[in-house]
Amino acid sequence: MSMVRNWSAGRVLALVVLLAATVISVFPFVWMVVGSTLNPNDVLRGNLMPGAEFASNWAKATKSYNLPLFFWNSLKIAILTVVFGLLVNGFAAYGFEKYPSKARDRVFNVLLLTLIIPQIALVIPMFRMFAFMRLLDSHAAIVLPSIMSVFIIFFMRQNFKMFPTEIIEAARADGAGELAIFLRIVTPSMQATYVSSAIYIFINQWNSYLWPLITILSDAKKTMPIAISSMMNAYTIEYGAIMVIVCISVLPVLILFLALQRQFVAGLLGSVK
Amino acid sequence: MKKKATYQRYLNQFGWMCVAPSIVLFCLFMLYPILSSLYYVTRRWKGMTNTFIGLGNFIRMGQDKVFQAALGNNFLFMLFQIPLMVFLALLLAVLLNQGIRRFKGPFRLAIFLPAVTSLVVVSVLFRVLLQENGMLNNVLIKARLIAEPIGWLNDAFWAKVTIVLAMTWRWTGYNMVFFLVGLQSIDPEIYEAAEVDGASKARQFFRITIPLLVPVILFSVVTSTSGTMQLFDEPNILTWQGGPANATMTAALYIYRQAFFVNADFGYATAMSYVVVLISGIFAFIQMRLLGENRKAK
Repeated sequence: MSMVRNWSAGRVLALVVLLAATVISVFPFVWMVVGSTLNPNDVLRGNLMPGAEFASNWAKATKSYNLPLFFWNSLKIAILTVVFGLLVNGFAAYGFEKYPSKARDRVFNVLLLTLIIPQIALVIPMFRMFAFMRLLDSHAAIVLPSIMSVFIIFFMRQNFKMFPTEIIEAARADGAGELAIFLRIVTPSMQATYVSSAIYIFINQWNSYLWPLITILSDAKKTMPIAISSMMNAYTIEYGAIMVIVCISVLPVLILFLALQRQFVAGLLGSVK
Repeated sequence: MKKKATYQRYLNQFGWMCVAPSIVLFCLFMLYPILSSLYYVTRRWKGMTNTFIGLGNFIRMGQDKVFQAALGNNFLFMLFQIPLMVFLALLLAVLLNQGIRRFKGPFRLAIFLPAVTSLVVVSVLFRVLLQENGMLNNVLIKARLIAEPIGWLNDAFWAKVTIVLAMTWRWTGYNMVFFLVGLQSIDPEIYEAAEVDGASKARQFFRITIPLLVPVILFSVVTSTSGTMQLFDEPNILTWQGGPANATMTAALYIYRQAFFVNADFGYATAMSYVVVLISGIFAFIQMRLLGENRKAK
């Protein structure tokens, strides 16, 4: 349908609306970069001319807060979750899809059922459990519960459906072992699925807030979102330093998105397939 | 024959081995918490000790005006934010798909960009932008649109507006991408046929585009509803602990505060979380039914 193909006024209107949406969408990004070069007052007032305060903001951000450590904590947690998540969920999705059995299908349906349970309902008993295991205030407490993801298993299973079972059977006929088939034949041809899942897991973990907020107690264990939120709770808020930290916390996801746009969106859309 | 049976058993065992790690993790971090919550929900914490009170936590909820108001806020945000966002996302998707010829890629990229930011970052940015003496008020005053600064964060009404605006900024581009894919999957021949029959563009839009997009729209409503039911980051950071005076308090934030701040009553917090699960479940059920009926109707 070309609602406005021959009506140039309509085309102009569409362009104006899209431009407005673009400005509103992009503006906060420009503003946070500019803000990182301004003194706190100019950040607040909304000065849009870049200033010369970046070095001092950076110094404040790294002096009063251990910015490199928070960044490293976040990165470590996200990468560990991606590695274990791809391994566990990849195997699970393959098992559910390519070794059909009634019993496993029933298990899978139970897994799917838990998708509607909001996180807030799980964090209280989980907190008690981790307190009992003496694992509070550890990065393991963040990584362990987020490895298994029903959504990722579902997403990967949908993709494994497209892998022809005949190839697996042919490999079996050639005498290949089940594990070798999965690792040497199936996995390499499912790279796109693994990349999309990795991006999804990474971003989810990089941005996760509620559970780390509950489990992390000491400064040295903080992740970027937790550090940012505790800065916003401070008595005096260092707006310039905050802008530096916000920029840095957005950067990895932004880079991932710009570099791997297609897989990024494929990961999102996996849920509608 | 016997050999084949043992081979089948071997394959079945391998299947279990594949899914075993995920099932173990599921039992530890999903099943066990769910089961243990059945114990917590019947108890009341006082300091370090807790006692059995049966359904007492649910009776207490009936008298808890703040919790009821918090749930009310969840519904309010749903009622205003989701239609606003779906409308904008649909409008942008249609304009992007049919309104322009060039620069589709860059526009889509730019409008999707907010979806890469974490909710914590969104909250921080909006909190700084919307200070009483902050940028937005300055711009609005200079443009003579308002005379007095608006209390985006300090006024009970405007704080709710702020939450809706921040959520809309974060999620519109995200949902637009879904709608775009939906639009692109519509067969152009349908429009050509409608054209031949003399259907106007507006009629085509309401009679063809919208009905064919219903599944995608429903999907977006389902995920947004469940997201809004769990709203936490924004009221905790952007309007600072559900302020002003609980005006933006949400169920999830209230549960968190009851469990980990105010009186560390895990029992009461668990009971409230049951209500949130129940409501989410009801919403999901209704929406899935609608989706199912829509599929059948085709």
